[in-house]
Amino acid sequence: MFDLLANSIPLAIVASIPLLLAVEGELVVQRSGMINLGIEGMMLTAALTAVLVAQTTHSIVLGFAGGVAGALAIAALFGVLAIALRADQIVTGTAINLLALGGTSFIYREIQSLVQQVPQLRTDAVLPLAWIVIPLVLGAMLWNSSFGLRLRACGENAEAFAATGRSVARYRWTALSIEALLVGMSGAYLALALSSGFAENMTAGRGFIALSIVIFGRWTVKGALLGTAIFGLAAAMQYALQAANRGIPFHLLLALPYVVTLASLGVRRR
Amino acid sequence: MSRLLSAVLAAVAAVLLLAATAALFGHSPLALLSILVRSSVGSRFAIEGTLLKSVPLLLTGLSVVIAFRAGVWNIGGEGQFIVGALAALAASRFGVVASLLAAMLAGAAWASIASAMRLWRNAPEVLTTILLNFTAIHLLGWSVNGPLRERAAQYPQTDLAAAALPPLASGIHSGVLLALAASVATWWMLYRTMEGLRLRATGFNPFAARWAGIRVGSQLARAMAISGAVAGLAGGIELLGVTHRLFERFAAGYGYSGIAVALLAQLHPLATIASAFFFGALVTGAGELQRTADISAGVATFGQAVVILLLIVFDHVRSTR
Amino acid sequence: MIHLAHVTKTFGATRAVDDVSLAIARGEIVALVGENGAGKTTLMRVAAGELAADAGTLAREGRAELVHQHFMLVNELTIAENLALTHPGFRFTTRRGIEREAEAAIAASGIELRGVARRVAELSVGERSKLELIKAIARRPATLILDEPTSVLTPAETEELFRVMRRLAGEGTAVVFISHKLPEVFAVAQRIVVMRNGRVVAESMAQDTNAQSLANAMVDRATAQPRDRATGRAGGEIVAIVGVAGNGQTELAARLRDEQPGAAHIPEDRTRDGIVAELTIAENLALRNARWRPREARAHAERMIARYSIRARGPLQRAGDLSGGNQQKVILARELERTRCHPERSEEASRPTRAPGPSLTLGMTPQIVAAEPTRGLDIEATRFVHEQLRAEAANGASILLITSDLDEAFALADAIQVIYRGRLSERLTPAEAAEQIGRLMAGVA
Repeated sequence: MFDLLANSIPLAIVASIPLLLAVEGELVVQRSGMINLGIEGMMLTAALTAVLVAQTTHSIVLGFAGGVAGALAIAALFGVLAIALRADQIVTGTAINLLALGGTSFIYREIQSLVQQVPQLRTDAVLPLAWIVIPLVLGAMLWNSSFGLRLRACGENAEAFAATGRSVARYRWTALSIEALLVGMSGAYLALALSSGFAENMTAGRGFIALSIVIFGRWTVKGALLGTAIFGLAAAMQYALQAANRGIPFHLLLALPYVVTLASLGVRRR
Repeated sequence: MSRLLSAVLAAVAAVLLLAATAALFGHSPLALLSILVRSSVGSRFAIEGTLLKSVPLLLTGLSVVIAFRAGVWNIGGEGQFIVGALAALAASRFGVVASLLAAMLAGAAWASIASAMRLWRNAPEVLTTILLNFTAIHLLGWSVNGPLRERAAQYPQTDLAAAALPPLASGIHSGVLLALAASVATWWMLYRTMEGLRLRATGFNPFAARWAGIRVGSQLARAMAISGAVAGLAGGIELLGVTHRLFERFAAGYGYSGIAVALLAQLHPLATIASAFFFGALVTGAGELQRTADISAGVATFGQAVVILLLIVFDHVRSTR
Repeated sequence: MIHLAHVTKTFGATRAVDDVSLAIARGEIVALVGENGAGKTTLMRVAAGELAADAGTLAREGRAELVHQHFMLVNELTIAENLALTHPGFRFTTRRGIEREAEAAIAASGIELRGVARRVAELSVGERSKLELIKAIARRPATLILDEPTSVLTPAETEELFRVMRRLAGEGTAVVFISHKLPEVFAVAQRIVVMRNGRVVAESMAQDTNAQSLANAMVDRATAQPRDRATGRAGGEIVAIVGVAGNGQTELAARLRDEQPGAAHIPEDRTRDGIVAELTIAENLALRNARWRPREARAHAERMIARYSIRARGPLQRAGDLSGGNQQKVILARELERTRCHPERSEEASRPTRAPGPSLTLGMTPQIVAAEPTRGLDIEATRFVHEQLRAEAANGASILLITSDLDEAFALADAIQVIYRGRLSERLTPAEAAEQIGRLMAGVA
């Protein structure tokens, strides 16, 4: 069993990069007092736009930028409804997921004829970025800067925060933009590095799992890293278990990530 | 702007926006609209097809109405639908009634996993129900590829169910009547019983409900269970009336579509009938679009989303008057 | 210095402030007094620039800081972090850094508050009040406006506050102090302004007036005569639990709600805990019923509307559309009818479902628990509520009245207990309580 675990670690670290980036983004948003259920749709949209841009420009870097652009568009929609119009965040998030699911399937089918070979990401730059640099930056930003203090105050008690004369909306929009940046990269990485292009519904619930990890990690950076590591390991074990042919049925292994996530939400907390 | 007006406007605008979006990619919007209308309501055959699609939508819509009215976020209709169908298949040897009851029980149980986690561990049901959806989908995949696979072992699907819903008229099964009855029963429960009043009070204001002696925790658990049962029933009826066997993409988004159905109906159980018919027509039409115009059937999902988003905007307009 | 001229502010159909002109000079302490709803808070919000007046002019020298009645603190953050929020100017810093800055700001204000690394959630209500004050003073305003600052302070803390106010005034800050507690007003104010129904109805230097004339100006008619309390009631009594808000009253009421489900419970917060705004009056009244019978519920609601003089269009009106006082009447109607119409329920109510907690030494099992039943109500509605409670007691009900209004407690109670940090004092007669109340509320044994 342990060798299976050990062998899964390198795969886990790489394969959970999209998830980790999404967790980091959602962490900032939830610290500002919102919950973005539409993160799943944001990631999916980013995956598509990243592929589209990468294909037409033959540039990975521009592909990543395309992913971010797609995520920003979704963020704008969410922000207009949930921040400006103060609509219910859960209904809005659900609608965005449906929009992205149907929309990306529709658009992808339309451009099928244009599909070419997608350039592959060759550098390993994203790995240390996701696992080391971004966590450090986010930690410093949230707990050692005045911006971070205000963001946290906004999330803890929006009414009191507004009484200090500041705009709750502005801080939430900022948080949403940071999330879009990270989730854009997440979708782009998923499509350009981990897969060879776009596929319908390719995010497969990663966004919801990211949401669960943020909660499981008690909205801290350390918790985010720990949660993603645990989850990533469990997910990677899927492949190892399959390959090791332990007789566990394939489909049940597919369910493993979701069951593990459910279990994490069921852990007793103080 | 009244709620009825918002709903009608949202539905019409969504269809038009759909046509406009398709136009962006070079399709003729008029052709698209004509295919949509023709294939969904343009002939007796079309209407029958739409009705068949409307039945599960009506039930999953009612499931969401009950949950949202109580203030619980049951996004797990998809999983409850699947689990209901699985139970219905297993119990089909005991007849239609037993089979459907099993479907309701299974749906209620699946939903209750989420409400138990909320009650005992404070786990947000919006997430747990979604995670349970994915779990159920893979449970179904395992079943139809493994233990429940058809004897002939040719395709990943089960054998035929041992019971079937009797047909009503050619092409329509009696499940339609059951669905309509469920709609009336839901209305009755919500507006003519004390349980319904308590449920609505809890949804509007759980604090005041608590002070009025309502046990909010068990109220929410009951609401989730009933909601899950209705979604489970949807799965059972779809099995016994339409597909007669299970296969991998059995649920095909009916659970999630229920949210759009419920919201367009402004969470009113009787209006859900009309709303389900509208979305049933949309899904049927989208299927035809995929077959004949090579437009992804995902436009139906896209259309649902647009309806919800428009309703959000109209709601805002209404509340700021 | 602030100069308000012919200021009017309307909310919907209500004119909260009606053609008010007022000047406040540097270095003076002005008290703004009046009953609930007189317009004092609204007027000061206009003066501070939080609200824009609908008519009239405002001239102001320097900044005005308004310290609200309700705390605007972020409970999950520490004292230091809350202070840092209102101080622009630090970008990246360590925790120790903002703690040092916080300690400096506290020292400069002259108010005592230790332990800046503590989370606000852990502070007592008096400490939170001090934190709000320090926040305001640290911004060096030309005018400091305090809205009911002593409502949550012990007598000793109130004295500390008055010292700070005098010091600030001596340094040139204009201090405005909103209150409805006349003895305190006379202790610290130089000038007193009385508001009623949105208008200024009297203005005088403190030395030129007295409490009685102020009270007459605050109220439309002469204050009600204290009633003769009927002696020897058939088993009924009213016990008042008094204390500074935040000492466990809310928890006590919630615990009684859970332990005595058969009793009548009137919650402290009527908008959040009392009324379901989206349901009709009839539905709200029926919420405790076992069965829903629409026709009977409607008829019952009509009877209650008449009996309790509820101003409503009818039993099918949305409860959220009613005014605060009328909503309170709906809650009373629902809850009081439980003991009145169903004497067997009173029996039931005397049997607690769980053993009460150890710190609850009530010495009686209440059939009615009323928490802050007249909060935010006008004089007529308050009188009505008091009448209902007295009537219930006269009929034999044991009533627990939880209130932070000492006048109300003394007007109604047969016995008084003081609550401090979740523990109750022994039962006192009103006379004993009057003597010891300051001590008990401050937690002095």
